Amino acid sequence: MKKNILIVLSTSRTTSRAIDFAVDKAKKEGSGLVALYVIDTGLTNEVFDRFTDIGFIGDKPSTRLTEAIMKEYRQRGYEEIGKVQVRAMEENIDFDAVTAQGAFVEKVIEVIESHNVSTAVVVKRKTSGFLKYFSRSVVDELVEKAPCEVVVFEEEE
Amino acid sequence: MLLGLKGLRPLFFLCVLLLFWYVVTMPVPAGLTPEGKNAIAIFLLCLVFWVTNVIPLAITSLFAIVLVPLLGVLPRDEVYGLFGNEAVFFILGAFILAGAVMHSGLSNRIALAIMEKSGASPKRLLISIYLLASVLSFFMSEHAVAAMLFPIVLDIAKGIGLRPGRSGYGKLLFLSLAWGCVIGGVATFLGGARVPLAVGILHETTGATIDFFTYMVAVFPLVAVMLLVGYLVLTRAFRIDVESVGKAHELLARRIHAMGRMSSNEYAVGTVLVLTIISWAIWGSTTGLATIALTSVVVLFVFRLVRWKDIEEYVNWGIILMYGGAIILGSALERSGAAYWMAEKVIGGWVTSPLTAIAIFSLFTLVLTEGISNAAVIAILLPVAIGISGRFDMDPAIVTYSIAVPAGLAFSLPLSTPANAIAVSSNYLTVRDMAKVGVLMSLTAWIVFNLAVRFYWPLVGLGS
Repeated sequence: MKKNILIVLSTSRTTSRAIDFAVDKAKKEGSGLVALYVIDTGLTNEVFDRFTDIGFIGDKPSTRLTEAIMKEYRQRGYEEIGKVQVRAMEENIDFDAVTAQGAFVEKVIEVIESHNVSTAVVVKRKTSGFLKYFSRSVVDELVEKAPCEVVVFEEEE
Repeated sequence: MLLGLKGLRPLFFLCVLLLFWYVVTMPVPAGLTPEGKNAIAIFLLCLVFWVTNVIPLAITSLFAIVLVPLLGVLPRDEVYGLFGNEAVFFILGAFILAGAVMHSGLSNRIALAIMEKSGASPKRLLISIYLLASVLSFFMSEHAVAAMLFPIVLDIAKGIGLRPGRSGYGKLLFLSLAWGCVIGGVATFLGGARVPLAVGILHETTGATIDFFTYMVAVFPLVAVMLLVGYLVLTRAFRIDVESVGKAHELLARRIHAMGRMSSNEYAVGTVLVLTIISWAIWGSTTGLATIALTSVVVLFVFRLVRWKDIEEYVNWGIILMYGGAIILGSALERSGAAYWMAEKVIGGWVTSPLTAIAIFSLFTLVLTEGISNAAVIAILLPVAIGISGRFDMDPAIVTYSIAVPAGLAFSLPLSTPANAIAVSSNYLTVRDMAKVGVLMSLTAWIVFNLAVRFYWPLVGLGS
């Protein structure tokens, strides 16, 4: 079965350097390219909680609000995947796209396992020096749990 | 984020419990009663939970309701009596009215109609969103306004092809929405529940009160100045990088067309709302704000303008626990003498005159409100501030303004107010974008507020 390079895109983290790296690596190794767009429900849940717990707004407006955000994120996902697809076509690389909604680490590992991924390329949010010692990002968790090599890029300004 | 880690959570609760136990069992400090010491222990417990937000705000308030009688700070029947405070019922009535307006579709129609009138000019559209968010927040909860306008603004940004995170106009649209809600939300009693909460604490602890009209007279000029300054700050910080918003104009026109003609229900709900506001302004101080609010709620149901099921979808009943508990905590601190004792110990040395007291309280409030819920800020600071007002023979109502107004002015971070959170969640702007202009705006708000205290309020008979 042909190996694949996975480029992970998400609602909160994206960088063109990571896309360039994944495309170049797939071309160099003769692998396929898989673009995964993870719609992070954690963000929408946070907004929902903020409106209900702090704003004391009822379920209906809060739900409408989170639905509007989800719709926007989904559309952006298609656009981001489209950009990677164009790059893959230009370089004549086999391409597959997956959109997933839910917990970041869980969804990425599912795709790594189902698509025979040899390298996963992910983008990490910048964290301040102080927080680095006390918090673990989902990307750190992925590096620890992923059954393949994980290349991490830091988000762009 | 840190407390989201499973391992830290039990450790955190254990530390809080130990702190609470330490204060409860320590010897009574000089100048404080045993009830006062216990009130401070409850206050610290609520303070930690409100600041860290590890449990919902309303559930933290439940701690106050349970612990105040349990530790003998106030008798049980008095505690539950405070829970039925007029302010709580006013907040409830105002939220039900706002729910009815939203359910009827009237607020959405007004919003779309005003935005559509702005034409194809980017600047006019920006101003219309900013002022609309602000003016709507005069009449209903700023959080509800943000929730209602956000999908429209998102569609506009998408419709005119703004690039998330890159477009200056995109940043301006979402910051205008957030800041419009924030500034407009402090203009009246209706922009959020914090002003009624503050007035409720004031009334329960001193017997004094602030009426609907007096509050508006005191705060409206400040709001006008802050709206102007806010617009200048935003448009200097971010560039309008689009030539035309014609597509947004078409999109709004399509949405209005899809809504059809204004229904009789919308007219009727609008009439009830207008009559209620007029009644609050004219008869609020004599009849009582809560009585008028609840009368209007009854009218809505008598004429079948709304169903109970509809209201349940728009009102979060946790609000009763949150504000009832906050009033109980404030009263417990004041009646046990703990508020005065804490005020003397914590900030007594810094306060040398009434004006410095107001400057310090408003500064503390502006800083705290960036990190925690603005209602929690009032519950934490107001009893202490009222405690110190007696030392300078200050009108406690003035101290209440100096906490209640700045508590609503959170400009810099998405943590404290849902309007800021939703603006950042759009991904059209980052937390850094918001903080960059927000810090400047918070500083300006503090200066404007203190200038108004010094020069404008004496002109309208406040603080003289």
